[in-house]
This record gives sequence, structure tokens and C-alpha cells, in this order.
Amino acid sequence: MVMARGQLRIYLGAAPGVGKTYAALEEAHRRASRGTDVVVGFVETHGREHTGAMIGDLEIVPRRTIEYRGASFTEFDLDAVLARAPRVVLVDELAHTNVPGSRFEKRWQDIDVLLDAGIDVLSTVNIQHLESLNDVVTKITGVPQQETVPDEVVRRADQVELVDMTPEALRRRMTHGNVYPPDKIDASLSNYFRVGNLTALRELALLWLADKVDEQLAAYRRDKDISETWEARERVVVALSGGEEGDTLIRRAARIAARSGADLQAVYVAGGDGLNGTGSTRHLARQRLLVESLGGTYHQVVGDDIPQALLDFARGVNATQLVLGASRRGRAAQLFSRGVGVTTTAQSGSIDVHLVTHEKVGRGSRRTGLPGAISRMRMIAGFALTVLGLPALTAIMHPWRDDLSLTTDLLVYLSATLLIALIGGIWPALVASLAGFALLDFYFVQPYNTLTIATREHLFNLLLFVLMAVLVAVIVGISARKTAQAAQARAEAHTLAALAGSVLRGDHPLQALLEQVRETFGLTSVTLLELGPEPGVGPGERRDPNDWRVVACVGEPCTSPGAAETDIPVGDELSLALRGRTLPASDRRIVEAFAVQSAVALRQERLSAQAAAMRPVAAADKMRTALLAAVSHDLRTPLASAKAAVAGLRNTAEMFSPEERAELVVTADESLDRLGRLVANLLDMSRLQAGVLGARPVPIWLEEAVPPALDEIGEPAAGVTIRIADDLPAVSADPGLLERILVNIIGNALRHSPPDRPPLVSASAHAGLVELRVIDHGPGVPEDAQELIFTPFQRLGDQQAGTGVGLGLALSRGLAESMGGTLLPEDTPGGGLTMVLTLPETGE
Amino acid sequence: MTRVLVVDDEPQILRALRINLSAHGYEVAVAADGAAALRSAAASPPDLVILDLGLPDMDGAEVIGGLRGWTDIPILVLSGRAGSPDKVRALDAGADDYVTKPFDIGELLARVRAVTRRRAAAEESPTVQLGDAVVDLSAHTVVRDGEAIRLTKTEWSLLEILLRNPGKLVSQRQLLHDVWGPAYEKETNYLRQYLAQLRRKLEADPSRPRHLLTEPGMGYRFRP
Repeated sequence: MVMARGQLRIYLGAAPGVGKTYAALEEAHRRASRGTDVVVGFVETHGREHTGAMIGDLEIVPRRTIEYRGASFTEFDLDAVLARAPRVVLVDELAHTNVPGSRFEKRWQDIDVLLDAGIDVLSTVNIQHLESLNDVVTKITGVPQQETVPDEVVRRADQVELVDMTPEALRRRMTHGNVYPPDKIDASLSNYFRVGNLTALRELALLWLADKVDEQLAAYRRDKDISETWEARERVVVALSGGEEGDTLIRRAARIAARSGADLQAVYVAGGDGLNGTGSTRHLARQRLLVESLGGTYHQVVGDDIPQALLDFARGVNATQLVLGASRRGRAAQLFSRGVGVTTTAQSGSIDVHLVTHEKVGRGSRRTGLPGAISRMRMIAGFALTVLGLPALTAIMHPWRDDLSLTTDLLVYLSATLLIALIGGIWPALVASLAGFALLDFYFVQPYNTLTIATREHLFNLLLFVLMAVLVAVIVGISARKTAQAAQARAEAHTLAALAGSVLRGDHPLQALLEQVRETFGLTSVTLLELGPEPGVGPGERRDPNDWRVVACVGEPCTSPGAAETDIPVGDELSLALRGRTLPASDRRIVEAFAVQSAVALRQERLSAQAAAMRPVAAADKMRTALLAAVSHDLRTPLASAKAAVAGLRNTAEMFSPEERAELVVTADESLDRLGRLVANLLDMSRLQAGVLGARPVPIWLEEAVPPALDEIGEPAAGVTIRIADDLPAVSADPGLLERILVNIIGNALRHSPPDRPPLVSASAHAGLVELRVIDHGPGVPEDAQELIFTPFQRLGDQQAGTGVGLGLALSRGLAESMGGTLLPEDTPGGGLTMVLTLPETGE
Repeated sequence: MTRVLVVDDEPQILRALRINLSAHGYEVAVAADGAAALRSAAASPPDLVILDLGLPDMDGAEVIGGLRGWTDIPILVLSGRAGSPDKVRALDAGADDYVTKPFDIGELLARVRAVTRRRAAAEESPTVQLGDAVVDLSAHTVVRDGEAIRLTKTEWSLLEILLRNPGKLVSQRQLLHDVWGPAYEKETNYLRQYLAQLRRKLEADPSRPRHLLTEPGMGYRFRP
């Protein structure tokens, strides 16, 4: 008898403590109550009361004890469960690594054996243990995961149930002590269990379940502004030829991209002289919209060698897959040269090339032969005219052949041939001239009705006829081609202008425009240079004609037009310097248009910058007035009391008792201290606002920086708890400024903490940033007022005079930002305020 | 009597310091600029110099250099709040410690006592009390709560420099130079690691050190 494999049901959670084990136990009870034979193979309650109680009267298979390196561990006992042979077994923590000496290395392998034995298994796993998400989770949380389980183990499960809980609810559970013992709560909340972390993990869990992780990761990264963390694994480039079939290719490429969670980029290679591209503007414009609507980007590059240009682009963007259309050319054409597809495939190296068939395969593009030459229809008409018209003409002229001189005959035939040349171009005209030669010779040159020519003069006349016919046909052909080329150049320029137009509507038009030039023409750098000093110099000043200044650039900046391969002046003061290759004259025209556009974009940017600069001035003015009023009050008060005390001592010292004298001295000293603090704050604030603070960041380790700050605060800070791991990376900060911030925010926390619950200072590292948290359990600040406390002189609930001047937090935030960090308030779960100081890790 | 030379261009500061120091039993000489300070120190060598970094005629570090050319008397630097680079430069030039203006006179006197005591203590007993640990610098042993504590060679070198200069703020550069060698200037993470190890071995609460103190970005100090 073949035993049916057991069923695996997995409870998937985003983080510890969401209630997976609890849910699994619930299910076990439910099945047991229906009379199923259920046992508990292994449950880890982590000392959580509710979970422990949930086991209730379920039968527990005793754990095995294993001796390892002198310590004893208890471990899930696979053999005991197999021997017991229940219908259903609950085995917690799928990703667990067994103690060495067990039968298998991983618990999921144990479970596999149980399933093979026909036993149903209930198990649990957290999202961070899934192998494919390991990197991502580490980058989000900053905590590397040791225990992982292959995705397919979970995917293979018969049922996966998400045990979901909102981050806020989970944090609430934690503060109530339902997850970890009390002494671990604060630290956990500020490290792993930050709302941001939990939200990210929860999203990951949901996405993974929806089987869409890859696709969404890119979007996630974009939304969270994570620039240098994980890479999307794939990038698909689709090559467009400008034909109709591009739509099919783009859709196909988008499907390939979607499957592997890749970026999609479409590229069109325009001819090297900017003229001979065969693409249709109409198709390209539509395809560009299509690509963008599918979440991809559209690019255009210039290159003579299409396969090479394609591959250069693909390598440049780190493409992993390249999608090409199968050849549009007919079988005959393929005999003479290898198509783009074949050549590209041969040279693609590590990039996978997909050749996609489409409706247009083998039908040829609509324009064949010389690009832009006379159309097929006209050529057919030309041949038709040759075949039908010339005999007809001969028939009409034949009766009068003795009345007409040979000159007239020749001119009539020449006219006919020219007509054919005009209509059908060079090939029909060539045929017509030869046919005309034969007809004239046969019917109109004596002796008649033979191909023999009697006089040399007649032969000469006939040859001249052929020569003239051919020459005219060639001229007609050339002019026709020129006309077509001109039309195409217009179309090309139109495409570029349309692209540029879309670029100009973006946020940084100038930069985007230069990037467009660089990409389109395959340059290494494009620089916009301006002559002379900043605009706004007095009219009397003379400009140094060689004093070029870089206004904007992409790639390596080029500092003077002389140093560029190509430079294109725009007016007297601007010049577009291009490096990478010398542009042919034909491209220059288009680049000139770009250059003019970039000048316009520059002016536009400057105007909008001016407008933006004016806006805060008014606001700052108002703020300054308020500040001045507040400062003059806060400065004058301590000054007055110090002056009063000292003057009293100086003039009438003999009238005071020793106690009174001492009291006056203390008053003066305290007032001067206050004054000193205020002056220092104001100085730093004004330096900060003037941008001359001169922060000099050096590597600083927080566990070394916090104790001196506590010393500076003095006696009151004795109770502050520090919980900073000494393996945290160093932050890049100015030591003096960091101390000001720490003294300020820890001082604040102390002031607002109840005496029995001193503040906690903890720190953790996440994705290149180090977060220091000062957590107090005081009254807290309502969420809508949390930003208000950073406004100067906005002491919240202004009650105690003389406890600092409402400048501290504004200054601290300014100082943090001047060092590339942030200072943000947060609610302490369970009440109170948490200040989060984030500083960048040192680069070294 | 301990002779103190106070150098500052502010007459009010000079006056206040002169009165305070005299009242605490110091013999005080004053100088209003760098040149006068160097002359005065050469004419009658003081036991301690209190030097303002912002002098009208020369840079504070130059004055330190001028003094260090012939004497190793303690130099205590007064500096404005801003500008930790100035302080680091002064320390590297040979200053013993710094006090930030505006300062508490009590704190200044404590620093003065710490750096002058060092000179007295340096030649004396080879054992130093560090919290509840006793360090014997000549026998190279550390005993804490009756138990011998083993230190690595590098830990010893660092600890010895700090203990031989009680109260002095020893700059990061000097520690790196003296322990690792002249090629090391920027490897401040070494210092942090070894000091963390020393604190774990010697301090009662390593996260709140009482004796082996860090001045972030500047240097380390042994506070007896």
C-alpha cells in the first residue's frame, strides 16, 4: 500500500510575536476537538504566558536531550514522533537549525520525513527566514539572519497562512510585555521593532505570499528612496527598429521583464549621420508611450553599426536580456549579409538575446533598396510605361518616319525616356533608353527594319541619346533620393525635438537635456559652459575672454570649449562642449538645436531659482522679528538679575549679612550661566543659518560619545541607562556639535522624565545610518505638536522660566542636519517622547 | 610655591585669574601676548602655563612650540567653544589639557591641580589606583578584587601612557604614534577598540567609565 504524503500547513509571520505559534496551537486544538489524533512535537513559547497556556491538554512528545560541547540542549525528537505515529503533529519554527548530532541539519528536513510518513504537520516560520529574502531583510533591518529555509519548502506547503498584525498593534503587544520580558522591551522597540522595520517586513510577507516580491521590490526601493541597497536582478532591453512590429516586441519584453522582476528599457538606434534611420516617427512616438505605460523607459542612441550600438547601450545599462525582432528582410536579402539579429547574437557575450518573431517577419520593410529612394509603386509605373508606352510611340510615329528627320525622332524618344525617368527613376529609364536605342535603330534609322546602321553619324546620335537618357535618369534619381532624405531628416529632428520637449518638462530640464544629447550621440561628456563671472556684474567690468565656467554637465566636466572635440557656441556667452567623439557635420545641426534649447533651459532654471529664493525671505523676515523679540527678553532677564546682584555687592556690601551676600553671588553666577548658554546657542544658530558653522566630521563611536555628554550634564544624568552595543559602526560627526545635541536632547528627556523612570539611550545601525534614541517615559508630546517643538522659542506648555530658551531643539536639529543627519520625534510606546538622532556611518 | 604664567590678551580675564589663583596660593605672572609670554617664561621659568589660544601676535600652537623647545612644564589651554581643530592642534603641539571659555573657575583650578600633581606623582610610586583595580607599572601587573588581570602588550602600552600622565588629555595622534608607530595617524578605531577592552577589564561600569575617559574626536584621559 502506498501511503499518502502528509499535508503541511505553515503559519507565516512578518516578525516574532505576531502570534504564529498561538495560531498553530489553536488549529491543533480545533483538529483535536474533532477527534483527530494531534500531538505537539515541539513548541517554543519564549516564556510567553498566553502561548504557554494555549498548549492546554494537548499531548506533548518529550524532547530529546543532546550533549554538545559540554552543554545539554533539548531538541525536537523526530524518531519519537515517528514511533508515536499521530495523525497530526505540531512542530514550531521551521527554519530552526538542529543542534549538531541530530539526524538532520535543519528542522524542515525532519518535517519532510514526517510528511513522507503520512503525518500532517503544522509549522511556523518568519518572513526573514526565507532564503530568497535574506539579503533584503538584512538590509532593511540591519540584522543578518543565520537561520534560513529554502523558499520551495514553504512554497510546497499545502497551505500557507499569513498571521498578520499591524506594526502598531505588535508594538502595543510588546509594551504590555506579551512578547519579551520587560527588561528587553525598550531596546527591542527601538531596534528590530521600529515601525519602519515592521512595516517593511509586513509588506515583504504580503508580497511574498502574493508571489510578486521581485516585481514590487523595485517599486519599494523607489518609494523608500533606498538608493544603494539591493539591485533589481534583471534588466531587459528591447531594440526597436521603428517599424510597426515594435509594439509586439515591447509587449513581449515587458512580459519577460515582469516574470523576472526586471527593469524594462527600450532603445532605438538612429543612423550615425542622423539621417539614414529607417524608423517611423509615428511608430516610435507611440511605442515610447507604450514603453512608459508598461513602466519602462525609452532611449535613443546614434550609431552606424546597429548591432554594436545596441550592445554598447545594453552593456552600458547592465542589461541581462536583449529582445530583438526576427529579421524583416526576405530570404534573398539574408543571403547577402547577416541580419542585425544574427550579428547581435554572435557578439552579445553574457547578455541573453531573445529573437522574437512577429507578423512582419520576412515580408520586408516597406522601404527597400536605397533608403529614401523612389517608391516601388513609381518604379513599377515606370517599367509599365517603358513596356507599353515605347511600342505605342513607335506605332504612332512609324507612318511618318520618312517625313521626320532623325533629330525629331531622337527628341521624341528622349522626351519619352525623360518622362519615364521622372516617374520611375533610374532603372526604368535605363531600360527605356536601351529599348529606345533598339527601336530607333530598327524602325527609324536607314536601312530600315535592320539593326544595321549605315552612317557613323547616326550611330553617334543614337549613343548620345542613350547617354543623355541615362544622365537625366541619374539626376532624377539623385534628386528624388535627396527629397526623401530631407523629409526623413525633418522627421528625425522632429523625433529629437519631441524627446527634448518631454525632457524640458521635467524637474531638472538642463541636466536632462544634456543627458539626452550625450545618450543620443554616444558622447562621454556634455558640458554647458558660460563665459565670465556670475551674471550681474557691473557694466564697467571687463570679461576675460578665456574665463569659462561650467554651468552644467553630464559626465566628466570639460572646462573650456578648446578642450572639447566639438563645441557649439550659443550666443556670445554660452557654449556647449561635447567630448567622446567628433560629430559629423550632419549631426551638428541637430545638436545646435539642442544647444539653443539648453540655453533656454538654463535661463528658465535661473529664473525659477530666483523665484524660489525670494519666497523664504519674507518668511524669514517675520521669523527674525519674532526671534529678536524673544531673544531680547531672554537676554535681558539674566543680564538684569546678574547686574542687580553684582552692583548691590559692589556699592552696599556692608549692608548684607554673609548669607545674603552668598545668595546674591549665587544669583549672579546662575544668571551668567544662563546668559552664557543663550549666547552660545545664538552664536551657533546664527553660524548655522549663515552656513559658516564649519562642522568637521570625524569618525566617532556613539558608545564613546554618550558618557562625556552625560558628564557634561552632571549629577542629574547619573540615572540615565545606556544601551549601546560596542560593535556599532562609527558615525561621521563633529565631536563638539554632537555633544551639544546629546546634552540638549538627553537634558530635555531628563527634565520630562518621572524620577523613577530615567531616560534610556540606545543605538542601532540600519543601512548605512546609525540611529541614537533617547527614550523618555514622561508626559510625551501630542503628535500634532511634535514638529512645533523644533520651532525656536516655542517651549511647549511654557511654564518654568529659566529652564533654557526654547532654542535648544531648533539648534540641535539644525546641527544634526548640518552633519548630514536628522533629528525626529517619535512617541514612546506606552507614553513619553523618543528623540531619534540619525547620523551617517563613516564612509571608511 | 607653584608659579603660574597666565597668557591672555583680555585684561579682565587676566585680572580675574590673577586674583583667583593668588587666593589659592599660586604665585602668578601675567603676559598679554605670545612674545611677552615667551620672554617671561625664559626669564623666570614657571611651573605651569595657562595659555589663551587667540593671541594678537601669534598662534597659540606657536607659543606651545616655543615653550616645548626647552621645557616640558604643563601647559593648560584656554579656548573658545567653537573650533575643536584648534584644540586638537594645541594638544598635538604639546599642550596638556584644555578648558573651554566661558569656564567655571572651580573647574579650571581642578585641571591646574591635576596637571601639576602629575609632575609630582610621575617619579613616585609605581602603583596606580584605578577604581578598584591596582596597576603596578614597574611589575606590569594589574590586580582587581584580589584577582590578577591579564593585559595584552598593546593594552599595556596604552594604559601606561595614560597612567603616567594623570589628568592629561593625550591626543589620539600621540597615542597612535607612541603605541603603533609614526605611520599611524587616522586609525582611531584601533584606539577605540583597545580602550573598550581596557574598560571592560578595569572599569566597574564599562559603559559609564569613571577613569579611562574619552574626549570624542580628540583623545583620552586618565582621571585618577
